[in-house]
Amino acid sequence: MTATDAIHADASFRTAVLSPTLAVMSFQLGRLLSRQRLLLAGLGVLFPAAVMLAVRRTVAEGLDRDLAVTMIYALVPEAVCMLGLLVTMCPAVADELERGTWIHIAVRPGGRRALLVGTYLAAVIWTSAVAILAACLAVLVARVPRPLPLIGILAVLVVLSTLGRAALFALPAVILPKRALVASVAVALVVEYLAGFIPAVINQATVSLRLRSLLVEWMGWRQKLPVEMQMLIDPQPAWVHIVAVFGLAAVLLVVAVKILDFRQFPPSVEL
Amino acid sequence: MIEVIDLVKHYRASDGSVVRAVDGVSLAVAPGEMVGLLGGNGAGKTTTLRVLATLLKPTSGTASVGGCDVLADPLGARRHLGYVSATTGVPDRLTAREIMRSYGRLHGLDEEPLSRRIDLLVQSLGLADFIDRPTGRLSSGQRQRISLARALVHDPPALVLDEPTNALDVVGARDLLHLLDGLRADGRAILLSTHRLHEIEHRCDRFVIIDGGRLVAQGTLPEILGPYASLEEAFFAALAVGAAS
Repeated sequence: MTATDAIHADASFRTAVLSPTLAVMSFQLGRLLSRQRLLLAGLGVLFPAAVMLAVRRTVAEGLDRDLAVTMIYALVPEAVCMLGLLVTMCPAVADELERGTWIHIAVRPGGRRALLVGTYLAAVIWTSAVAILAACLAVLVARVPRPLPLIGILAVLVVLSTLGRAALFALPAVILPKRALVASVAVALVVEYLAGFIPAVINQATVSLRLRSLLVEWMGWRQKLPVEMQMLIDPQPAWVHIVAVFGLAAVLLVVAVKILDFRQFPPSVEL
Repeated sequence: MIEVIDLVKHYRASDGSVVRAVDGVSLAVAPGEMVGLLGGNGAGKTTTLRVLATLLKPTSGTASVGGCDVLADPLGARRHLGYVSATTGVPDRLTAREIMRSYGRLHGLDEEPLSRRIDLLVQSLGLADFIDRPTGRLSSGQRQRISLARALVHDPPALVLDEPTNALDVVGARDLLHLLDGLRADGRAILLSTHRLHEIEHRCDRFVIIDGGRLVAQGTLPEILGPYASLEEAFFAALAVGAAS
């Protein structure tokens, strides 16, 4: 019995889906452990703490807790996560699509979806790890009272942010691989930071609305929030926002996988 | 093992016109046979091979590998196929062992059989001297050998190679073709496209010549040669006949 026959006979979920996906994930994580990417990760960890240190030094009477939390939220689950995913998710998928390596993955059973989902998981793990470390350091540097519950909240927001936004960046990576980074920046600005702040149905499909609403809910800020700011959050319970982020990520990933499945790769010489 | 019947593949070019990249090509490769697919640039060789590799969908006609139709059962076709391209697509930072391990896991191979398979490939393809070195530091010939090992990691019965000797020097090309001789002797079906006719003239069992997407000649070396002294002469004669018709 050849290896091919053995694999054919054992086309279980583990061999057909899990193993290839984990193979791509560990391959991409290996690439993310290069010196340049580790330097980038170090900058991502230090940047929010440096900002908080600078702010703390300028405020003689000590930083207000709510202001500090708002700043750390803007710096970590928003900025660090966005930037982390921009350097991990879209260039990784686009690189594979545009360079020769992609073809050799695409000719394997389940290779296309393993490439996308494995890269997605690697981007989520790498960015979440960097952002959670950044959150811990920023909270400690800002000397926020009761830091542990806050770090817990920020860690959950970071994971939700990376899960949702990595899936969002998967789409430009598969639709426009040659312009993946530019398209992802445009998507981040238009979808997350324009549509996300429009108080209408459209913002329901954005991760930024869900994260803001969770922060307000978990910090107990709803009653303190000015009326005009109330429009920028969704008063539904926390579980609705969490399910919405997972649902959005699943839908975006399925669409991206379907696009990859139908994508063809003609040799340029004949076009 | 590899079968293409009346394959047609049209593209829509960027100016809106339809490009007939492959237009009614038929060919077959049996187990233990090596077939050379010949043609100039833009003849349709790479398109034909990419259809077999499930990277492109045929406009009409059929293509199958190991009895699995590329449209109806693309996963089956992929399980039976090893694919090697001119651009090796070997990641610079990884070693050959890491690459083979990653691709073996893409096929769902468990650790133990995968390690055995890698050991076998290291031995049969002569990778031992550079198996644990990052591929970015290796020569073109060594990288192409790793590309071949990657294509063989799941032990496929059919092998499709798209101009595999393009970036190789004479020594590298000869080594690679020797390896292909061994793989054919193992019973694998090999379909190989190339521009270097002299390299495969006395190596392939049969030849398929295409031009402008159409099949212009097919047969064993004596059948293709006819009155001509070399494969190159016969090739140009076949192209001239094809162009005239």
